Amino acid sequence: MKPKRQKGNFHQTITPLLFLLPNMVIFVLFIIVPAFQGLRMSFMRWGIFTDPKFVGIANFKELLGDSVFWVTFRNTLVYSVSVVLLLVVVSLILALLLKRNSLMGEKIFRAVFYIPSLLSMIAVGIAWRFVLGDEMGVLNHVVRSFGGDGINWLTDGRLAMTSVILVSGWALSGYYMVIFISGLQAIPTDLYEAARIDGSTPWKTFWLVTLPLLKSTVLVVVVLSTIASFKAYELIFAMTKGGPGYATKFIVQQVYQVAFMEDRMGYASAMSIVLMVVIGVFTAMQFVFSGKDQGYE
Amino acid sequence: MKKLVLVLSVLLLATIQLFAAGAQEKASQEEVTLSVMWFNDANESDVFMDTIADYLAENPHVKIDMQVVAFSDYEQKLKLMISGGNPPDVARVTNNHLAALISSLEPIEGYVDDVKAVETQFMPASVAFAKDDKGILRAYPTEATANGMIVNKTAFDNAGIDVAKLSETWTWDQWEEAARKVIAANDKIKYGLAVDFTPHRFSTLMFQMGGRFMNSEQSAMQFNNPGTLAAIEMFKRYHDTGLIPKSVWLGSENPAELFQAGIVASHIGGSWNINTYNQNVKDFEWIVVHNPKGAIVSSVPGGKFIASFKDSKNKEEAQRLMAVFSDKTHNEQYCRDTFNLSARVDSEVQYPSNSEDFARFQIDLTKTPAFTANEWKHPVVNKVSTYIREQVVEVLIGNISAQEAVKRVDERAATFF
Repeated sequence: MKPKRQKGNFHQTITPLLFLLPNMVIFVLFIIVPAFQGLRMSFMRWGIFTDPKFVGIANFKELLGDSVFWVTFRNTLVYSVSVVLLLVVVSLILALLLKRNSLMGEKIFRAVFYIPSLLSMIAVGIAWRFVLGDEMGVLNHVVRSFGGDGINWLTDGRLAMTSVILVSGWALSGYYMVIFISGLQAIPTDLYEAARIDGSTPWKTFWLVTLPLLKSTVLVVVVLSTIASFKAYELIFAMTKGGPGYATKFIVQQVYQVAFMEDRMGYASAMSIVLMVVIGVFTAMQFVFSGKDQGYE
Repeated sequence: MKKLVLVLSVLLLATIQLFAAGAQEKASQEEVTLSVMWFNDANESDVFMDTIADYLAENPHVKIDMQVVAFSDYEQKLKLMISGGNPPDVARVTNNHLAALISSLEPIEGYVDDVKAVETQFMPASVAFAKDDKGILRAYPTEATANGMIVNKTAFDNAGIDVAKLSETWTWDQWEEAARKVIAANDKIKYGLAVDFTPHRFSTLMFQMGGRFMNSEQSAMQFNNPGTLAAIEMFKRYHDTGLIPKSVWLGSENPAELFQAGIVASHIGGSWNINTYNQNVKDFEWIVVHNPKGAIVSSVPGGKFIASFKDSKNKEEAQRLMAVFSDKTHNEQYCRDTFNLSARVDSEVQYPSNSEDFARFQIDLTKTPAFTANEWKHPVVNKVSTYIREQVVEVLIGNISAQEAVKRVDERAATFF
């Protein structure tokens, strides 16, 4: 028999709602309303200084044949999958190394790895352009001082994409490391003790104890980093401006260009809606594939 | 009794008039804070404040709230402010901004006695940029700009080339020959030329090779023409043969930094670079030279302007400030201190240095065909300019041919007509 839900008193019901209210108001005003506005705009032909005109699904039809949009879409997928994998692996390794609080200088290392995620991504992008630049870059200066020719970090399409993926990993792994550390510290130590008594190797313990119990944290990291990577713009634009050619141009940059350079707000909104749907589908897939049993509770 | 009533009425009227005049005077002296939006090529925002210092001293009720925005974010920010109904009172804009924003600017007419007299004070090309499609003046020209070539004179001297003299008549073939000699004669010089990563600077080569963006009636894009194709192919050849570093158009490195570092012999930038190079180049001597001739000799005219908006809160005061800032005395001071070409026809700017450099820019501007300004004024050219840059890069990488690139640009632009 289904247990009857107990009704709390008025204060117990209303107090949490009141605490949530400011956040809800901000969420509705700045997320929900603009999202619906964007959806409405995607059915319009509209310049920033001209009146909107309803055009039905014409913008979405045009998207289907827009080769630049699909190039940026493919680039975004490649970047997103690569960055999410990199972030999960690197930040998990860092978290495993720095979780115990027992190594010397561990807090300093945590701070060092975390600091890049606090910086403006534009500043990070500009700084790395100074490091990876073909002619003026520090790295190529070192390579040339040893007699090399220099490497086309940002002028070769594949290397440029690799560079922005690695720099993104560098910039963001500290943030996800902190999330993993909190997840690792929540795993009861007696489970490790039992595994040790049973003669489990560290590798086996990781696969059979740590990883299954970290599943919900992994899901959080994957979902957050997927959403962030689909919306990546500042760092990549500061590093490569989307080039060479279209090699590192992602959907968000194309949305910006179409909206503000070409003055086609409706068409740009249609692109944003597609991006929102893709992010939604990816996020839903991650929840489905991660299964219902999220924790060890 | 009647007399008394009459006297009292007169007194009452006089009192009302007196109070009304007093209130009016008080209102006119009410504090006004003008929001001014600015971008810097070098130190222009500081010089602007210095230039209007006397105006502010004479008008203590006027305060300036200056907001300096990075050029890369400037247009987007302005557009969002305008569309949100909250534009600044005064903004510095380029001719490219004008192409997109001109309909939102407040006309000068109505704030001056004779707008035609105002127009005659400025260069015709600058006035053309500042007028809308109905011929209404909506901004004050401040600086004229010209695209052109700046060279490392020391490097050319080391190669035994009198670059100033050679440039008086040189063609692109002669420039190439000289550039290869300069690279051979200087260990540090690796490249012959750096061109700013903008379609505007690329258009310098395009116009020189006889190319253009549109048909002569400006009724359609006509990027597919022999001159434009020749320019793209020449640009690719220079990249492929190592005369131009790939890092600028493929890797978005700053060409001015490459020039300042002394690793490129020439830079196609513009008159605004003079100020920057005066401040930053210490290791070698540089000069402005004439543009090499292709099919024609051409620069690309442009300019900077100051404007107020239809929805600005303090239009009266903004227009007064703009008129003062653009008069002969203030404009000369501003252009002298920022090392810019004046947009005024009566300007006699006494630059502390670089007079010959400015003169060369001016001479090339006089040889530049008028259609170059008209094309850059067209909103469609402005809208597809980033797409043009992308297509040129696609050619440089080798992903598409020049023919395919111009075809794509014409197709894309056709959707805007």
